[in-house]
Amino acid sequence: MKLGSYEIKLEKRVALRGWEATAISTFAILFALVVFSFVFVQAGVDPLTGYKEIFSFAFLSSFGLPLTINRFIFLLLCTYAFIIPMRAGLWNIGMAGQLYAGMLSAFAVAFAFGGKGSQGLTLSPGFVIPLMIVAAIVGSAASGAIAGFLKGKFNTNEIVVTMMINFITFWVVARMIKEGGLFMGSSGEGEGFKLSEYLFAPLIKGIPFTVFIALGLGVLLWFLFAKTKLGYQIKVYGKNPIAAKYAGISPSKIPVMVFSLGGLIAGLAGYHYFAAVPGVYKITKNYGEFGDLAFYGIICGLISQGNPLAAIPIALLFGGLTNGGRFAQGKLKLGFGIDYALLGVLMITLVAFQFFYRYKIVFVKTEKEK
Amino acid sequence: MWEFFVRSLDASTIFTIAALSELLGQRSGILNVGIEGVMLFGATLGFMVAQSTGSYLLGFLAGIVIGGLIGLLHGFFSITLGSDQVVNGMGIWILGFGLTAYIGYPYTGPLGMERIPDIFGLSPFFFVGVALIVIAWFVLSKTSLGLKIRSVGENPSVAEVSGINVTRTRYLSVITSGMMMGFAGAIYSLDYNPVWSNNFLMGWGFIALALVFFSMWNPYILLAGSILFGTLWQLSLNPQLVLPGLMSRYIWRTVPFIITVGVLMLMSTKWFRTRWGAAKPDALGLPYIKS
Amino acid sequence: MLLESIKRGDTVLEAKGITKRFPGVLANDQINFEIKAGEIHAILGENGAGKTTLMNILFGLYQPDEGEIYLYGEKVNFKSPLDAIEHGIGMVHQNRKLIPAHSVIENIILGHPRAGNVLNLKRAGKEITELCDKYGFKIDLKAKVWQLSEGEKQVVEILKALYRGAKILILDEPTSALAPPETKRLLESIQIMTNDELAIVPFITHKLPIVLEVSERVTVLRRGKVTARLETKDTTEKSLAREMVGREVIFRMERVEVEKGKPILQVENLSALNDKGVLALKGVSFSVHEGEIFGIAGVSGNGQQVLAEVLAGLRDAEGGTLLFDDINILHNSSLERWLKGIGYIPSERVDVGSIGDFSLVENVAMNYYFDKKYAKGGVVDYKKIRKLTEEMIAEYDIAAPSPDTTAKSLSGGNLQKLILARVLSRKPRLLIANLPTQGLDVGASEFVQNKLMEAKKERAGILLISEDLDEVLSLSDRVAPMYEGKFMGIIPGGEARREVVGAMMAGLKPKVDEI
Repeated sequence: MKLGSYEIKLEKRVALRGWEATAISTFAILFALVVFSFVFVQAGVDPLTGYKEIFSFAFLSSFGLPLTINRFIFLLLCTYAFIIPMRAGLWNIGMAGQLYAGMLSAFAVAFAFGGKGSQGLTLSPGFVIPLMIVAAIVGSAASGAIAGFLKGKFNTNEIVVTMMINFITFWVVARMIKEGGLFMGSSGEGEGFKLSEYLFAPLIKGIPFTVFIALGLGVLLWFLFAKTKLGYQIKVYGKNPIAAKYAGISPSKIPVMVFSLGGLIAGLAGYHYFAAVPGVYKITKNYGEFGDLAFYGIICGLISQGNPLAAIPIALLFGGLTNGGRFAQGKLKLGFGIDYALLGVLMITLVAFQFFYRYKIVFVKTEKEK
Repeated sequence: MWEFFVRSLDASTIFTIAALSELLGQRSGILNVGIEGVMLFGATLGFMVAQSTGSYLLGFLAGIVIGGLIGLLHGFFSITLGSDQVVNGMGIWILGFGLTAYIGYPYTGPLGMERIPDIFGLSPFFFVGVALIVIAWFVLSKTSLGLKIRSVGENPSVAEVSGINVTRTRYLSVITSGMMMGFAGAIYSLDYNPVWSNNFLMGWGFIALALVFFSMWNPYILLAGSILFGTLWQLSLNPQLVLPGLMSRYIWRTVPFIITVGVLMLMSTKWFRTRWGAAKPDALGLPYIKS
Repeated sequence: MLLESIKRGDTVLEAKGITKRFPGVLANDQINFEIKAGEIHAILGENGAGKTTLMNILFGLYQPDEGEIYLYGEKVNFKSPLDAIEHGIGMVHQNRKLIPAHSVIENIILGHPRAGNVLNLKRAGKEITELCDKYGFKIDLKAKVWQLSEGEKQVVEILKALYRGAKILILDEPTSALAPPETKRLLESIQIMTNDELAIVPFITHKLPIVLEVSERVTVLRRGKVTARLETKDTTEKSLAREMVGREVIFRMERVEVEKGKPILQVENLSALNDKGVLALKGVSFSVHEGEIFGIAGVSGNGQQVLAEVLAGLRDAEGGTLLFDDINILHNSSLERWLKGIGYIPSERVDVGSIGDFSLVENVAMNYYFDKKYAKGGVVDYKKIRKLTEEMIAEYDIAAPSPDTTAKSLSGGNLQKLILARVLSRKPRLLIANLPTQGLDVGASEFVQNKLMEAKKERAGILLISEDLDEVLSLSDRVAPMYEGKFMGIIPGGEARREVVGAMMAGLKPKVDEI
């Protein structure tokens, strides 16, 4: 293509530098927000007003900011649950199922110790809360490990398997909270179950302590991939499983490992949502929406190119956007599901921008034609 | 019991057409893991148009057209830009799932139109589905076009030096495939269960994707698999018809998904692959970039 | 010029001043070249001399940056292979351009304008059978291509070109994957073609004996330029070699004699399946001693790859025993084998031996991340590995700007040097070298061969798998020709005679007095 005396050419990138990736990702997000403003226009709202409402609620209001931070913790954990298998070249789209599994396991512990709102506690929170967290990560890691095991042992398509487990777990939760189940008594008390105040996750200046878990995991994962033997093995497997086998890396162990770790982190997201978000402290009827929200983890993971530290600002932005979106939806009388629509637009824009991770546009000065 | 059987075949129809569309695309080497998203688009747009115009015909057309457009988009990403097809498919699924939740919301509720008349109690689309299977088999195995489609799916560079336009053949397949996915979605929302609610497919598209792997890319095995899963799905919705009181109805809903995982696992064992395998198109999921 | 009026000896295709550049490489530099009716014309050159590029230009796969092509006196401009095919040019590629999952007949009629909307297999089958009868080919049209031998696949490619009406048939390294008897049959068929209907055959190869045997004229390429145009009858193997590489070639490496030690590897009745689940390794027994190069000669696809993978721990064995240092290692993982001192240089240097997106440091780490000296407490010491990489780059003269460059930016020869450096730096007691010089130019090949000799001097046991008969004969102390998953015998290297080993590679049992 020609533009004046310049020719525009596509060139394959040999390497993608950090700042280039950052620039592309930033541009992709901005582009998506511009595209998304059509949704505002179509609904008869000035896009600038729309975004102003979203951002000022999400980041500047004293009511909205804590919600944004809670959402951020949730999304960041979901992102890490996606990133670890992603670095091994595998797709974990089972964050929803894994976080339900974590949530149910944490619930089971609370239930077993009679941690229902009305009853007294038989044990101290200092014992039960860690136990709830351990239960959450064990349950969700087990849920994730299924897909990893099947991938490693039989090379079963992990996308289909994790998605199937999402649906399976979705219906298991439905059974538990609507009809009651193994650890919910017989009357379907799940929906009405409210965690005892003693078991609320501790808040630090109004922020759940899970924020430190999430941010700490970011540093830990960065270290894992940059420095450790396990991280190296995961990266080799992710680039080429056959080369990994050649280098003595077990092609059946890595998938189990990454899916267990991914599941484990999704379980923390489940714990966070169930036991740490002020105003929730129960398995809500609309738990499905939180499962859907987990898919933002895919987008975060892809935009950050699997970099756990780069995922932090992105998860914060998306936490704010989804949270502020819901608010703007009410205030500006937009249709339901504006956060869903944003999810779709962001994702497809990102997919389109993938191209620029591989190619760059260069301007070549051409001689003036006679 | 008869009613259950008929209803199962109705469900099978949607699996058949959806999975067949995926099979067609995969035979040309294009993997679309976003089939659920395309179906959601077809179902939602079809529903909206039918309800606003009162015409089933326009509703189905809308579903087919939007499906074709999404197929084109997937083609653009996967063929022209040569991006990772799994990422593209995921993008299409999340786009479909996110956008339809928003645009369809005002249409929540029943369609409110007279039901499409049945033939011997069966949905007319059942016969369409069977016809499509036969046509697809004939085209793929007996015609020059089919040979071209299979060749670009096996080895596009060989096809290219044999004088086949890989890009055109793949676009043709992926657009046709998208149209059929949209159609399958529209059958769901206009005929099988004419009520719109948020993200109502709940896994139909993903099971259809798995069905293609089960079918070993053979349309007839695909039909058999679709009937099996249609029956299973129907059973999971109405367990009381066949096995009253056996399990919670919520637990029944997990059964098709558990069986999908089980069958998929069996299919990927070494034992199975060495006996029946090798049917997978060699170039499936790989972008073709002319050197 | 009318096709009918062409007589033997008329010029039918002429290329003038063909120039083709790829990023950083001048693949063809002002090449002039002509083919006459009824001749077999050899294009000779080393790997990378530009032969295949030139032929791909004639076939329309590439467009030349400069230069013109004249066909029957008329200027032509091929935009795609389809253009070339329509002008009667057919090409048989070195890397088979066939679809394994399709039947022979489907492969032949693919893309043919007369295939019909609904495939008319009966008519096509009849026409193809006629072609087979004419040129002496035998092939089952209904068989799937993956079931065929390399020779049969080549026949399918030739039939495909002829069925499309090719008058000029370009054969790119047609004998490289064939055993000697198959080569002989192919050459007979080609002779029939040239006698018949004035079909013309340019023939690309780097194998000197083939050139001398069949061609009438030779064009020699070196570094993208034509260095000689000769009548074959006026040349000798030596003079052609000189033209091809520009200096006298040492045909035989000096074999270093090292005192043979105890057996390091003992293999007894080993068998294994290939990816299709077919028994591809059918019970081989041999041993490799310290300070010995044990060569396996064979045409690709006869089980050498499967054997190498079983030895390296990348593929399960079906049965047999495998002793390393008298300890059974059949069930050891590839990691345990690395740790015991077995090194493997895979034939697929891009897909298995290295990771293109990784830096050279990370590539070197493939053999060091498990080493306690380089990874303490689960943390990899990349600094130390980086230093090691720098040493390798210097010692092996690897052309790389820095240890941080990606592996995919290295040329084939440099990449192989890196892999070699990495594996040898572990001082393996047993080295499995699978096609270590395949696709490398003469200089790089010599380098690799010298390094193998050095390793032998340091008393490593070396298993060398090669398709290059000269290489395997000159380097090995003992040679086992391999055919259809079995050894046809084990011959002492020094006494091995080229023709005997060649015949054994083709499945012929040697007479006792020949050995």
